[in-house]
Amino acid sequence: MSPNNPAVEALGVAVAARVPVLLWGAPGTGKTSAIRAMAQIMGLPCETVIASIREPSDFAGLPIVVGDGVRFAPPAWAKRLAEAGHGLLFLDELSTAPPAVQAALLRVVLERAVGDLLLPAAVAVVAAANPPEQAADGWDLSAPLANRLCHLAWQTDPRSVADGLAGGWAPPVVPVLPDGWQAEEVLSRGLVSAFLRVRPALACAPPSDAASAGRGWPSPRTWEMAARLLAAASASGASDEARSVLVRGAVGDGAGIEFLAWLSEMDLPDPEQVLADPVSFQLPERGDRAYAALAAIAAAVATDPTPERWTAGWQVLGLAADVAPDVAAVAARVLAKCRPEGTALPAEIHRFVPVLRAAGLLQA
Amino acid sequence: MSDPGLDGLAAARLWAAVKFPYLATGVFGAQVIAERGSGAVSVDESWRMHADPELTAGWTPAQLGSVLVHHVCHLLRTHGERAQATGVRPDEARTWVRAADAEINDDLVPAGLDLPGRPVLPRDLRAEDGLLAEQYFEAIRAFAQEGKGGRGVGPSDRSGQSDEETAGGWVDCGSGADGIPRPSSRPGGLPGWQADLLRRQVALDVAAHGKLPGTVPAGLLRWAQQVLSPRVNWRVLLKAELRRAVAEVAGAVDYSYRRPSRRSAVAGQVVLPALRRPVPEVAVVCDTSGSMTADLLAMVLAEVEGLLRALGLARQVRVLACDTAVGPAQRVSSARQVQLIGGGGTNMGAGIAAAAALRPRPAVTVVLTDGYTPWPAEPPKGMRIVVGLIGSRAPDAPPWARAVRVEPD
Repeated sequence: MSPNNPAVEALGVAVAARVPVLLWGAPGTGKTSAIRAMAQIMGLPCETVIASIREPSDFAGLPIVVGDGVRFAPPAWAKRLAEAGHGLLFLDELSTAPPAVQAALLRVVLERAVGDLLLPAAVAVVAAANPPEQAADGWDLSAPLANRLCHLAWQTDPRSVADGLAGGWAPPVVPVLPDGWQAEEVLSRGLVSAFLRVRPALACAPPSDAASAGRGWPSPRTWEMAARLLAAASASGASDEARSVLVRGAVGDGAGIEFLAWLSEMDLPDPEQVLADPVSFQLPERGDRAYAALAAIAAAVATDPTPERWTAGWQVLGLAADVAPDVAAVAARVLAKCRPEGTALPAEIHRFVPVLRAAGLLQA
Repeated sequence: MSDPGLDGLAAARLWAAVKFPYLATGVFGAQVIAERGSGAVSVDESWRMHADPELTAGWTPAQLGSVLVHHVCHLLRTHGERAQATGVRPDEARTWVRAADAEINDDLVPAGLDLPGRPVLPRDLRAEDGLLAEQYFEAIRAFAQEGKGGRGVGPSDRSGQSDEETAGGWVDCGSGADGIPRPSSRPGGLPGWQADLLRRQVALDVAAHGKLPGTVPAGLLRWAQQVLSPRVNWRVLLKAELRRAVAEVAGAVDYSYRRPSRRSAVAGQVVLPALRRPVPEVAVVCDTSGSMTADLLAMVLAEVEGLLRALGLARQVRVLACDTAVGPAQRVSSARQVQLIGGGGTNMGAGIAAAAALRPRPAVTVVLTDGYTPWPAEPPKGMRIVVGLIGSRAPDAPPWARAVRVEPD
């Protein structure tokens, strides 16, 4: 695995933020070794438990008669983690665990409760599974268990396999969260809640078909998880790609993409503010963002074309024409069609004549 | 957005954005880089176009704009990724690009795309309009196999091809079209997840323009619908529904005192029950009325059987053929052994009732039908029903059953 693999980076952020995470990937692609290496670098004791060969009582505790009551004794791996006070619990082969074992795992994954023992909050939970299509005896993950995990797709890059075989596997880069990173969570929770106000249908949308029930899907719990992961990603300086992988892993692809699209739209200038103060307008760097910003401004003018707004719109386009004459010209065509009666032609309009003529959009 | 020093670029992009307003976001989203001496206009998978100014100097803004739109379509339709998924070898890349060109051009050229030279159209590949690049690719391969000089296969015919069809020498569409990394490629450009967002935005624009009839070519509209609400392969859905139905039964794990628990040793005086897991019986009810397609039914049966075998349940399967009456249950070990008797009308209620009467009673029943059948008003007690609705126009299944639509690929 190359250190710049977004899945590895995302895994590091999720472990550091103590969000339960599940790696989906074909057998033999280095999920287990990456997790062990990560635990070693972080100095966490790693306990591997293979879920598919365990019974429900291994996670719910073994009943022991003590005096006149029954205690649910935790197994040794849980005791070791509790004594260490921190660590990494690695649940392997999660999707081949029978449904009854998956049900017993619910409390372990989210609340870290094993029988009567509560694992310390500093224990990170990581799971790995083979997609049901690839494991002959695999089960789809039950929707309640799937909803407690951030799902990451583990893909192998042939080039990094070739490098790794020749020169040894590069250890994964583990992000470091600065102290007090939780302060960022206030901001990211605000973002998520603002988004859910716009798209209330996405606050809780359990999947309708069985195939997508075993992956991430939006619910209040996963949105909270997404907010926590967003905060951890920005505090640790993770790449945008890793951030997108984490958000989509928590709330599912559909809702995740909508949220990310909404986030990048947030960066666009507000058309009404620009029209109120056209001189301060900054054209976004990327062409498609510039187009979106100018189209929004032109549309805002067209819905309410007062002479002041119309003139302010031309002022903005005049500024944009220096950098991106073509993008500005598309918006100029919209503005030209909604000229308020009796308004003088602005000086900026002449700047678009050459490019419009070259494109064959002006007669003579 | 900086000026790359390519004459006429602004006019070309403006032409493209006005001519194809639904693709404007994509056209402006691609970064154009002047690359002197490359002799081509190519595109890489990170939304960067490399254009040779000496080549483009001879083109009108409409021609340069058309090439930009054409390349943006390569990116929108993820031809690079698809080439790798199809297993295109480097020596077949040129054939693939011709197939990909045909997929783009078949409805954009009629819509006014003005490419320099003669664009590749499906009829050049002896294929019909409206197919996918993968299908055109197969068509070219099949055509070459007929021994007509191997036209379009291998790098040897490179020069002949560009003379014949795409005079103007911009035929190397780049890694964005065939997915094969170029030695000159540099890191940077648009990261994959942002490219996904951009693609989705263009699909939204196309769908919005498509609300006015006649403004967007039908092929492009189909692409946008596929991006916005992807069609999931019925095999995945059917298997997942079946696995879930079996898991719900097998997950009904219960405790039994017939056998002592393996935990008894730690429990001292307490006798613990052992867990027992039921192994579900599965029945398959096949509609054999005249309206069914035999090929599709055989495919679905094979999928069902493959999955049950993977779950270790193949021995428990019984198949019932059903129209208005029900044929005797057949215990089969392979889909090929299923004999479809019957004809005429259909009543799946009879088939479900017959499955419920089998002993041992099946816990899961798979019903494969074209949907033109009366259904019982209530689900049978203690039995889970998964319905495979075969054919694209099948009516809905009753709400108490889990239904999967099986459509021909």
